[in-house]
Amino acid sequence: MPTPTIEELESLVGRQFPGGTYAVEPWRVWLTNDVIGAPQRTDNIAHPMFCYYAAMAGLGISIDEMFTLCYASADDGPMFGECDIQQFRPLEVGATYTVRGEITSAVRKQGERTGAFDIVAFQLEVVAPDGEVSSVVSNSFIFPRRPR
Amino acid sequence: MSASPTPSVGDELPRLVIESVDAEKMKTMAALLADSNPIHWDVDTVRELGMGDQPVNQGPNNLGYVMNMLGDWAGGAERIQNIRVRFLDNVFAGDRLEAGGTVTAVGDDGAVACDIWLARDGTHPVLAGTATLLLG
Repeated sequence: MPTPTIEELESLVGRQFPGGTYAVEPWRVWLTNDVIGAPQRTDNIAHPMFCYYAAMAGLGISIDEMFTLCYASADDGPMFGECDIQQFRPLEVGATYTVRGEITSAVRKQGERTGAFDIVAFQLEVVAPDGEVSSVVSNSFIFPRRPR
Repeated sequence: MSASPTPSVGDELPRLVIESVDAEKMKTMAALLADSNPIHWDVDTVRELGMGDQPVNQGPNNLGYVMNMLGDWAGGAERIQNIRVRFLDNVFAGDRLEAGGTVTAVGDDGAVACDIWLARDGTHPVLAGTATLLLG
């Protein structure tokens, strides 16, 4: 996919995702705890990784669509950058959360060995049924760019 | 939630060891996340990509191990207020991992800051970052 201009890249900032909902299903919690080796709890508190899962699943677009939005595809070799999770209150098993968010920054960098690459960061809020924000998840993707 | 520790700056967090990353669990997580990337379950694809001959663990799983380490120490993973990490390298099926950390600050309000890491064989870093927990 052609490398976007700086103007095209910067125009991504502020772009809102469609958003959606995510249900913390008990079966999903059990299987996830089993996969990552977390204890199976009986107090309805979901593992903090569910902040991340809820945010990404409730984004409203797929990862491939996210890449397309950022003028890239999986074939360009995008990489996960940083992941920041704020957990204001644990997610509850059985509850359904609303997710909303937007792209917060998009910058071009030049690496000596890697050449040009773009870092696109986005922030997602995971909102509890009572309207309170339970978690804020900030992620970034790194997109290698070939010369235009 | 169980009793929390009384930490001091410089304390090493008790390490969590994953003796061998399980390829079968990667398949479960791929299904849970609807993750279509075959590097997590198709060894032929991993070989074709020149990434070796073992499936690649999902990055969030690696973060989950570190959260487990923090939760074991703090008396519950719900005590994690913030965690910020960078993914430094892939983890493969069969890898032996150690998760650990060091206390870097202790606040009067019970907030504790830590440097955290996950390393293959306890030496090769695959994830690093910081975390803040509220103990009390």
